[in-house]
Amino acid sequence: MKGITKGLAHTLRNMSKKKMSYQYPDEPVPMPDRFRGIQKFYPEKCIVCNQCVNICPTDCIQLTGKKHPDPDRKGRIIETYDINFEICILCDLCTEVCPTEAIVMTNNFELADYSRDELFKDLQWLDENDTNVREEN
Amino acid sequence: MEWMMELLKSPPGLSNLSTFLILTLPVLSIVLGFVTYAILAERKVLGYMQLRYGPNRTGGRFGLLQTVADVLKLLIKEDTRPKEADRPLFILAPVIAFVPSFMVLAVIPYTESVMFANIGVGLLYFIAISGLTTVGMLTAGWASNNKYALMGGMRSAAQMISYEIPLLMALVGVVLFAGSLNLVEIVEQQQYIPYILLQPIGFIIFFIAATAELNRTPFDLPEAESELIAGYHVEYSGFRFAFFMLAEYVYLFAMSALITVLYLGGWNPIIGLGFIPDLVWFGIKFSILVFVFMWVRATLPRIRPDQLMEFGWKVLLPVAMLNIFLSAILKEIFF
Amino acid sequence: MIRTEEMLLNVGPQHPSTHGVFRLVVKVEGEIIREATPVIGYLHRGTEKLAEDLQYTQIIPYTDRMDYLSAMTNNYVICHAVETIVGLEVPERAEYLRVIAMELGRIASHLVWYGTYLLDLGATSPFLYAFREREAIINLLNELCGARLTFNYMRIGGVKWDAPEGWIDKVREFIPYMREQLDGYHGFISGNEIFLNRVKGIGQYTQEEAIQYSLSGANLRCTGVDYDIRKVEPYSIYDRFDFDVPVGETGDAWARYKCRMGEIEESLKILEQAVEQIPEEGKVLGKVPRIIKAPKGEVYVRIESPRGEIGCYIASDNKKSPYRLKFRRPSFYNLQILPKLLEGENMANLVTILGGVDIVLGEVDG
Repeated sequence: MKGITKGLAHTLRNMSKKKMSYQYPDEPVPMPDRFRGIQKFYPEKCIVCNQCVNICPTDCIQLTGKKHPDPDRKGRIIETYDINFEICILCDLCTEVCPTEAIVMTNNFELADYSRDELFKDLQWLDENDTNVREEN
Repeated sequence: MEWMMELLKSPPGLSNLSTFLILTLPVLSIVLGFVTYAILAERKVLGYMQLRYGPNRTGGRFGLLQTVADVLKLLIKEDTRPKEADRPLFILAPVIAFVPSFMVLAVIPYTESVMFANIGVGLLYFIAISGLTTVGMLTAGWASNNKYALMGGMRSAAQMISYEIPLLMALVGVVLFAGSLNLVEIVEQQQYIPYILLQPIGFIIFFIAATAELNRTPFDLPEAESELIAGYHVEYSGFRFAFFMLAEYVYLFAMSALITVLYLGGWNPIIGLGFIPDLVWFGIKFSILVFVFMWVRATLPRIRPDQLMEFGWKVLLPVAMLNIFLSAILKEIFF
Repeated sequence: MIRTEEMLLNVGPQHPSTHGVFRLVVKVEGEIIREATPVIGYLHRGTEKLAEDLQYTQIIPYTDRMDYLSAMTNNYVICHAVETIVGLEVPERAEYLRVIAMELGRIASHLVWYGTYLLDLGATSPFLYAFREREAIINLLNELCGARLTFNYMRIGGVKWDAPEGWIDKVREFIPYMREQLDGYHGFISGNEIFLNRVKGIGQYTQEEAIQYSLSGANLRCTGVDYDIRKVEPYSIYDRFDFDVPVGETGDAWARYKCRMGEIEESLKILEQAVEQIPEEGKVLGKVPRIIKAPKGEVYVRIESPRGEIGCYIASDNKKSPYRLKFRRPSFYNLQILPKLLEGENMANLVTILGGVDIVLGEVDG
């Protein structure tokens, strides 16, 4: 009986304790700066080095490049850049290898959609995803 | 009460039948109202004890319409029935489970004037009728043609039978003191001292056995979620499921009211506080009991079936017997 | 004529207390179990085979998804294996950060076990209490590495991030808080008579059986074998810490409960020492070649995960990815004793025993 009484006292005490609920959809849950959310892509920074494609463990990144339109400048610029968020696991490896920080993480994480097709994000979408961009990379 | 007796003696007819039906409506609405808010209260109490808020969306900050919404959802849900189920029994089971729970409410006296039937053997009636619900659960378990449901049904039958006995035995003490099986008289006998003080052992036995009868934690084996998924009502959906839920909470209402009447002195005020109306006194005592049931549910793990049987037969029953002897001796010496 | 019949009961793969998609085909006579056959593989993703086509760094995020309750230890075992075969030095501060992260993960994992175990036994509140503390840990780890469960924090030769400013202090503050809450748990449920009746003497096995079945972790220690890889074969910097290994005697569910709760306390002790000893400054990633190629050969390393001995075997033929990778996943090995334990028990003990073994299906199925 002693153990049961102690248990009852414990639950009663907890009744007035601070509640742990997040008011999630009403109030956004603050995520720390390092949080790995949906990537933001800077097309102007990309040098089409293909390192992110190579490191991606799930092969969810596809990119194509083209020659720089200005004939005096060497190198290539990005033409298309797609991330398939059906299989992206937000592992952070692409941002880690990127030498120019053209691809960085943001704190946005809400990816739910009504169709799978919506999860296929292209260059334009990733460029416009410019809120809550992570500072350290 | 006079007109009630006249009505009972009047010849049967359609008009009488409709009068009877209309008379039950207030009880039904009170009970349904209670059930609605008891479910909400239970979820709130559990929530607050578990560091959550409980329902807080439907119907304002306190989720006041949550249960209403839930019941509406159950009403419009598809009524599924397993293909190999025993059809007539499957349909009958929720009714068998629910009707007795409502029938027992007739004898509970809330105050001296607010009561529905003042029959001489009210206590016996209550216990006898409430035992019928087990049949409903067993039927549900059998008719669903589901192994988990069958196990739940068997468990519930075993549990109900073995806990009905200590429950009754604990009552004998009260009956000895009051000298009556009439619930109103039992309350009147407690004008000065509620029986919880004279019968502490009896009260504890009755409370434990009542928890078991109500299928509530720690005795919720028939519907043990982690073992039997939901026990006897695993195959039920929609309104049939709602009937089982309803039966469970109506019994919570009935049992708490019965304990209030038997042990806490019913509507009798604490001496010196008589200016508060009787019905409020009843409500306060009743609410405390309901809270304790919820509190116990938030705290305890589930007991094991074989230990449950052992506890019922080897501990509760002998103690209840002892309680009868003690009560008899007390009664002989002091009263 | 009255006769009884054995009934074939499918427990799972969708069942509230099989902790994932685990299936048990049970032959029951009434409520007594006569035979139980575990069926696994519903969560099989072929991590080991996938790894054969992945670079070593790419394998790390996959290990997060094996034992998803303590991903840090999985991160560590693959990194440790590669570091051993390549012969890499890990900077001191990185080692301390790894240990702190792993021990936090161990506490979080045991908290989930505590909560779900009592949920199996029918008590709903402990689950929420345990998750409050787990949330605190997860928030700490989220700040450290940017994810709540799939950390992908460790890298071959170190860790990805240094601790953010003030993080070590937060860990320091967490330790007394956790101690206080742990006392609360013990007061709440450890003395509860119903709970004691349900776990004492249930799922008992002897030392010899435990060793024969190759059990590890708390499942082994509950029988009285003092075997913790952090002690017997110290890896990382565990030889610098002073901690005990909680050992049970009886080998039943109660002993396992006590072992796991004891381990939380010991992990707190390690954390306490680690946050004191951690060097203020320092690199967190050692000198690592840009493309990691393991030399030809093989290596097996093992560490102590919350569930037992997690091992990683790499056979390499001097390429960027392993020739063969094998994880010794403790949940899978611990599960082998289940059919034996369940025989002759009743249905209510099924969840007590299954919960007591503490399996994570991501790990069992690989």
